[in-house]
Amino acid sequence: MNTRIGSQYENPILAAPMIVFLLLLLGFPSLLNIIYSFSAVGFSNIRTPEFQGLQNYQAVFNDPMFWQATRFSLKFATLTALAECGLGLFLAIFLSPLLRQRPWLLAILMMPMMVAPAMMGLMYRLVLHEFVGPLPHYLFKWFGDSPAFLSASNVFTTVFVIETLQWTPFVLLLCYMAYNAINPEIKEAATVDGARPHQLLWYIELPLILPTVAVAFFIRFIDGFRIFDNIFVLTGAGAGGSTTSLSIYIYQTFFRAGDIGKALAASVVLFVVSFLVLFIAIRVLRRGKR
Amino acid sequence: MALLMHSLRWLVFLLAAFILNFPIISTVVTSLKSRAEVNANAGLSIQQPTLDNFIQVLTVTDRLNIYGYLQNSLVAAMIGTILPIIICFPIAYAIARRNYGSNILFPLVINLRALPLIIFSIPLYLMYQFMGLLDTRLGLGLILAVINLPLTLLILVNGIHDVPEELDEAAKIEGASLWIILSRVVLPVCRPAVVVTFIFGFITAWNEFLFGLMLTTRDAVPMTVGASFFFSSGGGGIQWGMAAAIIIIAALPPTLLGLVMYRQISRSMLGGAVKG
Repeated sequence: MNTRIGSQYENPILAAPMIVFLLLLLGFPSLLNIIYSFSAVGFSNIRTPEFQGLQNYQAVFNDPMFWQATRFSLKFATLTALAECGLGLFLAIFLSPLLRQRPWLLAILMMPMMVAPAMMGLMYRLVLHEFVGPLPHYLFKWFGDSPAFLSASNVFTTVFVIETLQWTPFVLLLCYMAYNAINPEIKEAATVDGARPHQLLWYIELPLILPTVAVAFFIRFIDGFRIFDNIFVLTGAGAGGSTTSLSIYIYQTFFRAGDIGKALAASVVLFVVSFLVLFIAIRVLRRGKR
Repeated sequence: MALLMHSLRWLVFLLAAFILNFPIISTVVTSLKSRAEVNANAGLSIQQPTLDNFIQVLTVTDRLNIYGYLQNSLVAAMIGTILPIIICFPIAYAIARRNYGSNILFPLVINLRALPLIIFSIPLYLMYQFMGLLDTRLGLGLILAVINLPLTLLILVNGIHDVPEELDEAAKIEGASLWIILSRVVLPVCRPAVVVTFIFGFITAWNEFLFGLMLTTRDAVPMTVGASFFFSSGGGGIQWGMAAAIIIIAALPPTLLGLVMYRQISRSMLGGAVKG
């Protein structure tokens, strides 16, 4: 067998299926995206778009709704990621002696993660419903009043809490695994040297799991930034657009307003911005690890 | 003091477990109430538990064909889970054994999962329209495969990395071709990694909502989107007991899979997060 010729082309052949697949399903659409975003295009001339320059981009940047959606996504992502990391880190460290004894308890805490965010959103439509929802039921019973959770003034807090409650387990899990992976000898050495429990936690253990927390924050930030499912089923981006994330903005521009060019231009903007943010974040995380 | 801390930990655990799972508990409870009781008693107690809601959802299919949705989800999720394993396995071998593409290609693909998927959705919609893939299970399955691909590749690369290299060396000396080495030597040994990617991929694919919403309208609607139809089509009069039963059925497959495999999931989740 002519192994030399074989091995020369072997790697590209091994790589080909995945590369071809990605080019077809992501590469080609991205190209389409860029070309169409510079064109005048509607559902009537969808196969023959006309080049028109930057008009679609102008329309996006002049749309106050676009900026409102950007602000919402940034604020939502930052706040949920912070809350999830704080809560998850606390629970991971505080509960770790218990979880080490009974690992299956972890499965109970992980349950919310397994449920589709869209289904979680539907569940909360039930939970928060003013007549059949358990939460308003008990609030009325015990306090005589229950807020309108999905009204314009409360809806941000509501979706913030929902997102945080569903994904705190993710951070909890990562932190718990990292916390358990700390070499016990380090703890012993510190204890022998006279470190008190809170000193051990603050000066030894926390710095050791900080990189994991940073990664968890990064992942949760990204997921919060592109939020769609649970907000969509819960509010349908209603409440005066106060819960319109960037994903929902693009969806609505396309499906409700039928403004294909603008929706595509917004997609390209989001693509460029996320690529840059990702690039910078990965550099920072890499440096942090070294 | 130690006992006090211990009970405090249990208290915090129970509280956290209750609050985090509150929507799941509430939905299960509501699904077991009769129509009259849902309206009369919104609390977490049930006077007369009944399976009527589940029976209705599973037998009366003219308004909401749950079997159609479940089938669509199953077929699309299977395509979306198995396809990336097949196409990633060869390149995962090249990456793990020969450091192929480890500078640009590998990190690029792994980081695809951090991009907001909405940016591809509209051009994909247009492309699917040209190709006649809109509202088909295959079309939905293909995009689920894209979504699953980065993590599949990562787990497979890690899995092949853990296979001792002597194994394929030995097979090579015996005269086995690369194809044989891949399918008969490496694949069987890293079966745990394949199983983990399957579980992860299936849960992700089953739970996906955005593309199901955008790329399907009638024939290929997956369960998650179908369940949300039940809420929007009600015209104000949602039957909450039935709605709850539908949500439970829709959420059951990934939740059961996750509960059974939580150990594998937690372990490889750490691997994915740290190495990604």
